[in-house]
Amino acid sequence: MLSLTDKPLIRSLLIFSLILLAAGICAFLLAPLLIPIILSFALYALFDPLSNMLQRKGLNDSLSALLVLCLLVLISILGISIVFPMLAEQLLVLQTKMPKLWDSLNNFSDQVQQLLNSYGINFDPTAITQPIMSLSSSWGKDTVIRLSNMLIDMTVTVILVPLFTFFLIRDYKSLRNKALDLLPNKSFELGWLIYYRVAKKLEEYIRGIMMQSGIMAIVTSIGFYLAGLESPVLLGTIAGLLNLIPYVGPLLAMVPPIIIALGAPVFDPVLIAAAIGVIITAQLIDNIIVVPAVIANAVNLHPITVIVGIIIFGNFFGFIGMIVAIPALATSNIILTGLRHGMKKDTVT
Amino acid sequence: MDKDNKHPLWENIFRHKDDRITEVCNLWSETPLFKGISKSYIRRLVKNMHPRLYTTDEIIFKTGDIGSGAVLIKSGEVAIKAGEKVLAVLTKGDFFGEVALVVDEARTADAVASTDCELIFFLRPDLEEWLHSSPKPGAQLMANISKVLAGRLRHANDMLAQKAAD
Repeated sequence: MLSLTDKPLIRSLLIFSLILLAAGICAFLLAPLLIPIILSFALYALFDPLSNMLQRKGLNDSLSALLVLCLLVLISILGISIVFPMLAEQLLVLQTKMPKLWDSLNNFSDQVQQLLNSYGINFDPTAITQPIMSLSSSWGKDTVIRLSNMLIDMTVTVILVPLFTFFLIRDYKSLRNKALDLLPNKSFELGWLIYYRVAKKLEEYIRGIMMQSGIMAIVTSIGFYLAGLESPVLLGTIAGLLNLIPYVGPLLAMVPPIIIALGAPVFDPVLIAAAIGVIITAQLIDNIIVVPAVIANAVNLHPITVIVGIIIFGNFFGFIGMIVAIPALATSNIILTGLRHGMKKDTVT
Repeated sequence: MDKDNKHPLWENIFRHKDDRITEVCNLWSETPLFKGISKSYIRRLVKNMHPRLYTTDEIIFKTGDIGSGAVLIKSGEVAIKAGEKVLAVLTKGDFFGEVALVVDEARTADAVASTDCELIFFLRPDLEEWLHSSPKPGAQLMANISKVLAGRLRHANDMLAQKAAD
């Protein structure tokens, strides 16, 4: 007679739960280093092809990893010396202009009310705008503080991440082989097969999403600069980062530039239209050129699963949770499907 | 089990593994898969392959399992079966399961250890990583795999023709 644990679905769910528990324990123990570790894995996925290329030129593992480390250090130095000060400066400018910005938004609301009253329409837009204004005001202030803290955290991360990435590029494959070789004979091939599928999907997704985010940051920064918006690099960076969140991110990315455009000292409908135009153009470039070229079919998940996943992960783990929601869901999907297939075969034969 | 066949986890980590790698490297280089590929390249690949120990009658894979790579016999014997019928008995230096190096499809026969044996698994991720870092010998290996698979196909066609003639 079959016991409950002999059923393929129950067995695969049990093993999947154990994997999830192990992942949860690891995440808990490594909590302070989780962001540098995630970033290092993302950079590993991005720079591993470069390391392979250097090996093709005849360099050994350590030397190719060292050259990649040098490149990462160079990027970090450039980041610290050029991009960070630029972002910090634009943040300060934004912070000092914040009270004026909210005043301008209030004035805009009053003008709309007057315009409507002149046409005999008795409508008080402040009834709608006031709660939104107070909400966005606190959100805006919080965001500035949060972004400032993020810049400090990023400075620490900038030191750790290249180091972790170097060791990943040099030793990841041998460590992975040793870990997977510990699997018993019965599940050895299945374990490798699941790993192979997960790794391939994640590599595709991470490379794609990072390229997409970078392209979006550059396109929107240039667009906002040409449109004459305040703090274009900061707004572009925010748009690039938000683009890491599928579906929801591009919508959220529209909010900061529109608020900045609405809060201009003189009401300027052209500026508002330009801000919206930049975001829409960037999204068009993203959807027509970037997405099909770099991340199409990287994860086969239903849009509803993606949106629900993003909301749930975002609720529990914040912004980072929203970014890792898709890779985590795709990984779980592949592991569970692989386990179910493997367990079925075990029972049938 | 002889003293060389210890589980990888418990082996002496200070022991020089070079002899073992050289032996596996020699075995692979004599197979049609690695024909025309220099030993230095094979050696680099062998370092990342996966030695596994199987006891008598232990199942290596079953029909319908999704395969993830080819298997070389370093010691012992392996029976390839279709149901209860033994199709072939393979010994040291033979390899099987190479179809799984190129396609994500189910195994078409059972492989069972006839004696205690040590097998070397050459998996698809090893092949793909090697193709990225060493594309020239990688292309030669792919050509060799094609020749081996074409040979198997020709053999299967001959058998079918023979069966039809009978």
